[in-house]
Amino acid sequence: MRTFSILSFSAALATASLLLLTTADAQEAYTVGVTAAMTGPAAATQAPVIEMLRIYVDRINAKGGINGHHINLLVEDDQAEPSKAAANATKLIQQDNVMLLIDSSLSSTYGPVIAEAKRANVPLWFAGAVCPKDTHPPKPDPVLFCSTGFDFGYDIPMAIAAIKEAAKEPVKIGLVGMPIPISRIGIENAQKQGEKLGMVTVDTEFIPPTAADYTPFATKLKEADPNWGFAYAPWPTEVKTFEALRRLGWTGTYLCYGHLQSEDDLTRIGDGGFQVFSANAYFQDNLPVQKEIHEAAAQGKYSYPATYATEGWITGGALEQILTKAAWPASAEKIAAAMTTLNLDTQGLRGGPLVWTVDNHFRTKQYYRFYRYDPDKKSVVRMRDWLAVDVID
Amino acid sequence: MSLQLVANIIVLAAIYALVSTGYVLVYRVSRVLNLAHGELMMMGAYLLVATAGLFSGNPLLALVLAAICGLAMGMVVYAVLMRWMTGEAVLAAVLITIALGILLRGLTILIWTTQQYYPGATFGWRNPPVHVAPGVQISAASLAIVFFTFVVYVGLFVFLQFTRWGVRMRAAGQNPLLAEQRGIRLHGVYAFAWGLSTFTASLAGMLLALDSGVESTMATIGLKAFPAALVGGLDSLLGALIGALIVATAEIAAIQYVNPLLSDVVPFVVLLIVLAIRPWGLFGSREQLDRV
Repeated sequence: MRTFSILSFSAALATASLLLLTTADAQEAYTVGVTAAMTGPAAATQAPVIEMLRIYVDRINAKGGINGHHINLLVEDDQAEPSKAAANATKLIQQDNVMLLIDSSLSSTYGPVIAEAKRANVPLWFAGAVCPKDTHPPKPDPVLFCSTGFDFGYDIPMAIAAIKEAAKEPVKIGLVGMPIPISRIGIENAQKQGEKLGMVTVDTEFIPPTAADYTPFATKLKEADPNWGFAYAPWPTEVKTFEALRRLGWTGTYLCYGHLQSEDDLTRIGDGGFQVFSANAYFQDNLPVQKEIHEAAAQGKYSYPATYATEGWITGGALEQILTKAAWPASAEKIAAAMTTLNLDTQGLRGGPLVWTVDNHFRTKQYYRFYRYDPDKKSVVRMRDWLAVDVID
Repeated sequence: MSLQLVANIIVLAAIYALVSTGYVLVYRVSRVLNLAHGELMMMGAYLLVATAGLFSGNPLLALVLAAICGLAMGMVVYAVLMRWMTGEAVLAAVLITIALGILLRGLTILIWTTQQYYPGATFGWRNPPVHVAPGVQISAASLAIVFFTFVVYVGLFVFLQFTRWGVRMRAAGQNPLLAEQRGIRLHGVYAFAWGLSTFTASLAGMLLALDSGVESTMATIGLKAFPAALVGGLDSLLGALIGALIVATAEIAAIQYVNPLLSDVVPFVVLLIVLAIRPWGLFGSREQLDRV
């Protein structure tokens, strides 16, 4: 009986010590929360970003952390559903006391997450997901920041102007989007920009992500007889529509945003008329940082091809710099202040540094590269090197 | 209406008809509405991804192996899960299938992540367009979907009408008590029905994956095929075929002549209209529905 009591007491003591240690460790770490579409309809684009961020953070922690403190990265899956994103934000801010919240999901989830972050005055960072207008200069919301490569406000005018510049004959354009806010706004914007430049929009198709077959949409598009196609939507919609168009015998040129899957898919499709513009460099550049990403992906057992990792790596690099500047002890206020001084050397992953200031939580310049598959060279080629666009008020 | 539109309707109807087969088979034999059918279809596609990775130089072997695995998967689902629902309320069995669907969705993400896979590309196959009539082109994979849907329906008709196991299956569906008293082993029949249902779903998943790839949201196509099965009548294979044709025609007409955004809604509008007029579906059995 006495032996049993001693054993029970020892077990209780060990458990209590463990709990105290865990709590102490959490209190001594930079606590960063993430609500992301790790599963669900947007996961193909968002999950690779957060998985690489996790690998980046693990590497920092393995080296002893930042300012002598580990990063405690808490990832919650919102499945791109607003209600789940709201619950995640509440839990992460109120229960886990995160100092910084990262959102990587569909724009439809933003409302409740932004509201929760603003209520608690916790900085909210959009990474690998749509940048809200409130991050743009000249008067960004004090707690909202964005590092994502794409932004429809700058992507669309640049892309439509590029089509106009490349076209050898009057442009009859067919537009492709998905019925989600960012894509709809982008495509409507593309139509307006095109009209300003004298283009004729012959058809617009918003294709639901649940479509079993893209051919009916492509048929309607082809019947309108465009000589250019432009898509601004999640990658599966962009690429499946193009493939359906080609199978119907359409011979025009097609431009779309090059999401993280695009480098591999350009090679798979192998069509010179399929062009993409991207804010991130392709791995064909073989930059030193890309070799490092390859190594990190292999060591961290990244579930996706390393070519999907650029957004996540940039997020990790920015996080490292922000927390270093925030010093220790850290707080949400100190982290928000550090974020307004971000100046990240992207080492060639983008056309220039990622800079945030007090008046600009987006970036000072937006850069684009154009790629396509060259059937003669049998490889993806760069059509146009970094095109810099000033981010204006 | 152009010939291309007719071709598009036939292809979409074939997709829905092939997926619907599984709903009908399981319901007709065991009165269970399998709400994990879309996920089982998606598993079939992922099985092809797995076998394509193993046998990239031998597409036929990879396809046959994946199809056999699909058949076995259905039987395992029955043996491990559905068998224990015998004698329980039908609702309990339906809830089990919902849980199975959630489990399968999680499992596919754990194994294959959310990445888009193209098993056709693994074989070095580019899914070329096929001219089926003057000015009418569909993809080779779409043509295969139409062909295999035809083969599956003819095969099932012959199987159910003229083979011993087919007759046993019909008997078990009509009167399980009497069938068992006549010496039919119900668990064997049910397991085979689940196997066949998952086999056809897997076949649909594999062909869709060859056409446009597979990713973790493919299961929603199973949900879109559900109205086709209900419109036709949940216990009628012929009904599923005609239901698929009606739903596909309505969907493509909406895309072409009204608004592409309606394509998601139209199958369910058709379903509501049919259910309001004839709740047991166009070719379904009234008394069977009353029992549910």
